[in-house]
Amino acid sequence: MATTTARPSSTRPPAGPAAAQRRGRPAKHRTDGIAGYLFLSPWLLGLLTITAVPMLMSLYLSFTNYDVLSDWESMEWVGLDNYRTMFTEDPSFWHAVQTTLMFALVATPLKLAAALGVAMLLNRPFSGAGLFRGLFYLPSLLGGSVALAIVWVNMFNRDGAFNSFLGWFGIEGKAWVNDPDFALGTLILLAVWQFGAPMVIFLAGLKQVPVELYEAASVDGASPWRKFFNITLPMLSPVIFFNLVLETINGFQGFTSAFVLSNGTGGPVDSTLMYTLHLYIKGWNEYQMGYASAMAWVFLLFIGLVTAVVFRTGRFWVHYSDGED
Amino acid sequence: MTAYHPLPRRRVLSGVVAAMLALPLALGACSSDDGAADDGKIELSFFWWGGEARAQLTEQALALYTQKHPEVTFKKTWQANQGYFDKLATLTAGNDAPDIFQIDDNYLAEYATRNVTADLAEYTKSGKIDTSKFQKGLVEYGTVDGKLAGLAPGENTQGLVYNKAKLDAAGVALPTTGQTWEEHIAWAKDAAAKTKVAGTMDPSADYKAFWLWLRQQGKELYNGSELGFTQADVQAWFELWKGARDGQSTPTPDVIHEGNATDVTKQLVVTNKALTSWVWANQLPELQKNTKDDLAVIAYPGDATKQWARASMYFSVYRGSKHKDVAADVLNFLVNDPEAGKILGTDRGLPSNLDIRSQVAASTDNAAMKETIQVMDELGKNFGPAPTVPPKGHSTVRSELIKAAEEAQYGRATPAQAAEQFFAASQAAIKR
Repeated sequence: MATTTARPSSTRPPAGPAAAQRRGRPAKHRTDGIAGYLFLSPWLLGLLTITAVPMLMSLYLSFTNYDVLSDWESMEWVGLDNYRTMFTEDPSFWHAVQTTLMFALVATPLKLAAALGVAMLLNRPFSGAGLFRGLFYLPSLLGGSVALAIVWVNMFNRDGAFNSFLGWFGIEGKAWVNDPDFALGTLILLAVWQFGAPMVIFLAGLKQVPVELYEAASVDGASPWRKFFNITLPMLSPVIFFNLVLETINGFQGFTSAFVLSNGTGGPVDSTLMYTLHLYIKGWNEYQMGYASAMAWVFLLFIGLVTAVVFRTGRFWVHYSDGED
Repeated sequence: MTAYHPLPRRRVLSGVVAAMLALPLALGACSSDDGAADDGKIELSFFWWGGEARAQLTEQALALYTQKHPEVTFKKTWQANQGYFDKLATLTAGNDAPDIFQIDDNYLAEYATRNVTADLAEYTKSGKIDTSKFQKGLVEYGTVDGKLAGLAPGENTQGLVYNKAKLDAAGVALPTTGQTWEEHIAWAKDAAAKTKVAGTMDPSADYKAFWLWLRQQGKELYNGSELGFTQADVQAWFELWKGARDGQSTPTPDVIHEGNATDVTKQLVVTNKALTSWVWANQLPELQKNTKDDLAVIAYPGDATKQWARASMYFSVYRGSKHKDVAADVLNFLVNDPEAGKILGTDRGLPSNLDIRSQVAASTDNAAMKETIQVMDELGKNFGPAPTVPPKGHSTVRSELIKAAEEAQYGRATPAQAAEQFFAASQAAIKR
């Protein structure tokens, strides 16, 4: 093992013609490469068989009328029909797009703000800080869990805890999860509450900000707000960027909570019909798997596009310390 | 040192890779037996949804079959309703569907029109499956495109379950079979005023109530694979219930939404949020388990002879099964054998075989069960012809009805707008 780890430094090729003259060098390079792939192979096999092949299959299926139940032989190539239907003939598709955008665009910024706020509070030294960090992180551990969504639904139901809370102030609540105007709101709240994962990352980022900067600012008489906007935010911007990319992608993929709240229907009145849920209903309730596959690919491209845009805008507001040094 | 001996290491590592590559192949080879060993033994796979209680009863009944036919054993798989049809579809996609599987009228046509189910008509014709004692209409209600796609082990029909205890306590007259829809709505208003509980659940999102109402107007939900109603019919239906909501006969929309869920435990009559629930008559015993109040069941309003013997579910045989004859014999045993009937009881609906049904009725000591059987027998005497099995797309029509009806309930759409939306969406769903 020790010899293996030592190899890279000992065999690093000295640049120049001398290296090329030594026989056996290229062959050895090749064995290095093979060894690397061999060590990767368990993961690589998984990627190929469980991810890549099914993905390509779904790309193929998206051009067919595959319906899950019929024989493969009766499957027909329909060209771009599924894609055309999606954009021109399926009103629920556009509704689902709208619902998903609404969910992701509201939940993601709120979640990041909550994560950053709590991270800054927990960054101060006080006794029991570790305990609180753990407690705040807990909800996101249970992240995609069905149990949590069920708890949430009960909490915001007519006889739920939230209405009891409102009752203290003499406000009469309603069954929020059953109301098409509020159901999505409860899901957004659930997503925001699970801010633990970005919070931990923010916390790590905050610890990296040099204390001297704050000290210097204090000497100059900067207000806390000033310090936040002129030191914390710029210094933290790479971390914010990282969290933003991850959470945006997460937000768009929301499924479990909507599925549980609506019993897999997207109700009440399609108010929680997320893109992924619509896709699931098309594929598994209506057996239009070709169409569902097409939806999945459009979704992939869309998320790719959004991520690319986030990366593009990043150059205007993300400050990398190594670039400035 | 390793640099001087590259080959052995490479050989070792390539051996490792080869082993990893070969592993799935070896596993694949293990699983390629088809259940028919040389010794004449047959293993049938049997897949159903349901709870713990159903699992016990089914396993007992199948064990009894094995006792009588030692060469036949069963590979039993069961799970909750949620996710059942995902699994069944996945198995079917892999050409690995169970020999016998449970299915309902929501999906029967989806499977039958795609040639997944074996045609059981050849067995009913040859007498290998005996349906002579069946409730009238049940065999027809399992027939898709002239083929018997599923055999109904049980029957149910629309049943309006009401909270007898609360009504008696408040001195309100009990609802009766044969009341018109308008009379029922007026009754609900009066009952709500006297009991302080919402009078009747709003069934405008419920396809089975809508379907029956259509039949009473001389229409159908489906004619073959076409819709059997017009947009004006839907509008009239939505307007009927808008009137009921405006007249304080039904609960608030968020409560109605709760009642639109199909779980027994969420029905408003057991959660005490309404005095009635629109369910299947055979669900009364199950509902009764969830409340202390005494419940009772009658037919839906309007002409009760327009109700029909609906298969509560079916057993289907996979067309690709290697033992279709044996599977058919098992089905015959489950629906017609007196001992099996005794074990299975009314778990899958009232037994289709009327002899077995009366045997079960005589032996049960469950009051709710006794009442259900009595009410359904009474109704069953006057049933007209059964409608055809709902076509492909039915499950979408059902969810579109819920969506449109809720739009109207929440006041986001007028009955006319909701009707237009539902009519267009269901036409698209049926045509696809």
